[in-house]
Amino acid sequence: MSDSLVSLVTALGDDELVLGHRHSEWTGFAPHIEEDVAFSSIAQDEIGHAAALYSLVAKVTGDSADRIALGRDKSDYRNAILCERDNGDWAFTLARHWLYDHADELRLEALEGSAHEELAALATKIRREERYHLLHADTWLKRIAQGPVEGRKRLADGVMKAFGPSLALFEPFELEDEAVKEGWLPLPSGELRDRFVRFASEQLDALGLPTDIARHAEEGAEFVASSSGDLIAGDGAEMAQGGDEDGTGGRRGRRTADFDALWEDMTAMYRTNPGATW
Amino acid sequence: MTTTATTLEEAVWERLRDVADPEIPAVSVVDMGMVAGVQVAGATAKVTILPTFTGCPAIDVIVSDVRAAVEAVEGVDTVEVETTFSPPWTSERITQEGRTKLKEFGLAPPTGTGPVLIGSIGLPTFAICPFCDSKNTVNENPFGPTPCRALYHCNDCTNPFEQFKPV
Repeated sequence: MSDSLVSLVTALGDDELVLGHRHSEWTGFAPHIEEDVAFSSIAQDEIGHAAALYSLVAKVTGDSADRIALGRDKSDYRNAILCERDNGDWAFTLARHWLYDHADELRLEALEGSAHEELAALATKIRREERYHLLHADTWLKRIAQGPVEGRKRLADGVMKAFGPSLALFEPFELEDEAVKEGWLPLPSGELRDRFVRFASEQLDALGLPTDIARHAEEGAEFVASSSGDLIAGDGAEMAQGGDEDGTGGRRGRRTADFDALWEDMTAMYRTNPGATW
Repeated sequence: MTTTATTLEEAVWERLRDVADPEIPAVSVVDMGMVAGVQVAGATAKVTILPTFTGCPAIDVIVSDVRAAVEAVEGVDTVEVETTFSPPWTSERITQEGRTKLKEFGLAPPTGTGPVLIGSIGLPTFAICPFCDSKNTVNENPFGPTPCRALYHCNDCTNPFEQFKPV
């Protein structure tokens, strides 16, 4: 019974930790100083959310949150692959930030109704903080989508690259059927994904940004992706770079080469001195 | 120590009023509304703390400071400190005294309960300059040096300042 809870909450924590780590890589390198502060702060929030989620898991399993975060083998992480992808340029980071935080919003909204009271309370708490992330992501997406051509082009490329893999945030968790049955996860991932696709397609379309129309059209009528069209042309190279896979498999433990480097960096201190505290 | 408090529970609350927020030493954990409750049974005191922001790195220090303070209360042998997100801490929990102290510290108290939507774009809620009380201020960044602070600029006295974010 608790196995499905552990699986669900660990995966949620892994998304937050890994993406938080990626965001933190902008510290000192963002395009301007206010964004340096913003991404550093968002990173701290996400890693804090991961810590709270891992603490919940640790309470159930008798483990420690630090060990779960930093003491696992690479193959034990269950984050969606989107979260581990290299930052690329700031436009890709921004597109991923927007897609991830809106996906997370739908997920947290559902989790507020979780039968696990502590998880439900945590979702409520996290959601209040996440409003600032949504504010940030929405503001920048709109500003750049309505700005000069260079920015629009790069943002469109970023969205093209991130949209498909963002759907894999809703790949079913391990033991998901049981988690849904127990009420830990009030809505199955498939339903959350449908909501997300509707929301994201509508929003992106309104800004003239593309969704990953070609790929998901082939998968059938499930995804009604939409696009302004003109910005898609000439993106073949970008798609090939990040798109050798569709970004699925993360929930089953598939990891990419991008993750190897991230894991080495993220866990270096912990592995050097296991169990260190300060 | 001696205390004028009539009950052990009141004595615990009194000591908690001296436990400073490690990142904003001008205010106590009680001013911040972080103490959800104190329960005393015999010589055991249980204190429930609400973390302000989930990712607040000061929480371990706060828990340890609370424990040390309550252990020093005469008549208390055992102290339990637990943290919970239920109910969620919100900035509305900061007391009036806490808001006054924040302002004296140079940190604008939170206004409202979070960012607001204006049209399709969200804006942070406004802040009142802690130095000249002007409302003619502009948000420069909804994020700041800690998870709980946003950056503002005052158009009247021209000072930059930080606000404790409404959440």
